[in-house]
Amino acid sequence: MEDRRLDELLDDAKRSYRPPPNAPLDEIWSRVETEAFAVQPVVQPAGPARRSPGWRVFAGAMAATLVIGVALGRVTAVNEQSATIATAARQTSARLASNVANDPYQRQTQEFLGRAALLLASLPSNNHPGLPDERLNEQARQLLGTTRLLLDSPVGHEQRMKDLLEDLELVLAQVARLQTQHRGEALSLINEAIEARDVVPRIRTAAADLNISDY
Amino acid sequence: MLRAAIANSPDRPDDERSLIALAAVGDRAASRALYDKHAARVHRLAYRVCGDPDLAEDLTQEVFVKVFRSLGQFRGESAFSTWVHRIAVTVSLNAMRKVKRLRERETDLDEAHQHEFEPDAIDPDLRARLAAAIEALPDGVRIALVMHAIEGYTHAEIGAALGIAEGTSKAKVFDARARLKKALGDYMMED
Repeated sequence: MEDRRLDELLDDAKRSYRPPPNAPLDEIWSRVETEAFAVQPVVQPAGPARRSPGWRVFAGAMAATLVIGVALGRVTAVNEQSATIATAARQTSARLASNVANDPYQRQTQEFLGRAALLLASLPSNNHPGLPDERLNEQARQLLGTTRLLLDSPVGHEQRMKDLLEDLELVLAQVARLQTQHRGEALSLINEAIEARDVVPRIRTAAADLNISDY
Repeated sequence: MLRAAIANSPDRPDDERSLIALAAVGDRAASRALYDKHAARVHRLAYRVCGDPDLAEDLTQEVFVKVFRSLGQFRGESAFSTWVHRIAVTVSLNAMRKVKRLRERETDLDEAHQHEFEPDAIDPDLRARLAAAIEALPDGVRIALVMHAIEGYTHAEIGAALGIAEGTSKAKVFDARARLKKALGDYMMED
């Protein structure tokens, strides 16, 4: 009796208990945009402090991969340089339409960071099957080529960007070599690297910095 | 244009993951798309918890500022909506605790009278009593009840948002119902 009565009251409460007014979502978004995307002062972290012991272990484990990855990047760069540059402006304007930088290097870097972020989001996880290995390999190889180009460009002269690109190069090299065999172990290593090096937050910071700085 | 590019991109994992990845690197259009998808539900919940239109807007704003500032930390271990609602619940409860510290809230017994309902609906006095009884519930119990019985969240969603087990969510709602029945007393026998 009491339960049924309470159910009736609670059912009524869906309409009567603090019925939400229409939310001014556009207005709230304006406030969110102002606060969340405000340019914040960039604090350059001290180099040694960012090198955790875990990273050193990881770096050692990936040393062999780095050699292969860099080699892959250099070879790929020759073949794909023109294609990468040709497509960069188009993809930049589309994917990062709201954050377009003026300098060609900045545009290409923004495009690269967006594609790298997408690739990292495409990695398989416990809750997400991710892209097939072949696609991941192919995209990582393409990005490796761009990474090397950027490292050799004025963009790579800025220390923090250089550090990020080098870390991404390590990760991409590992993704480029991802194979069905030992896949779980390799993915675990990749995810540890991304986590240990704060790769995703650093991509975001770097992308934001591109809007306010010149190389 | 951005959404079209994502939709045509051969490497897109799926729409929301792509949007999250782009928003994480500061893309405004992707951020707005995520906001559009989740803001209304967050606002509803915030308003049900706080009961104040201005505060509900402020809370919605605060939730999404936190979401976009910490998006780089989102690892995809739970659904994005779960992650957003966890932030929403935390922000709302923290705000309500601050409000309670500033002033002991009194349930606005006239509030129920401000809305028009069907003539044969529940007695307005009973509505006001129920509102007061819900107000008097402990925060964790109240939000579980509001989310489940009023906003229609599942216990799994509530558990994920509150960081508790699904069974604990059920227990909280059961507890809330027992407290409401006790608080309403004689009214419960009327029919």
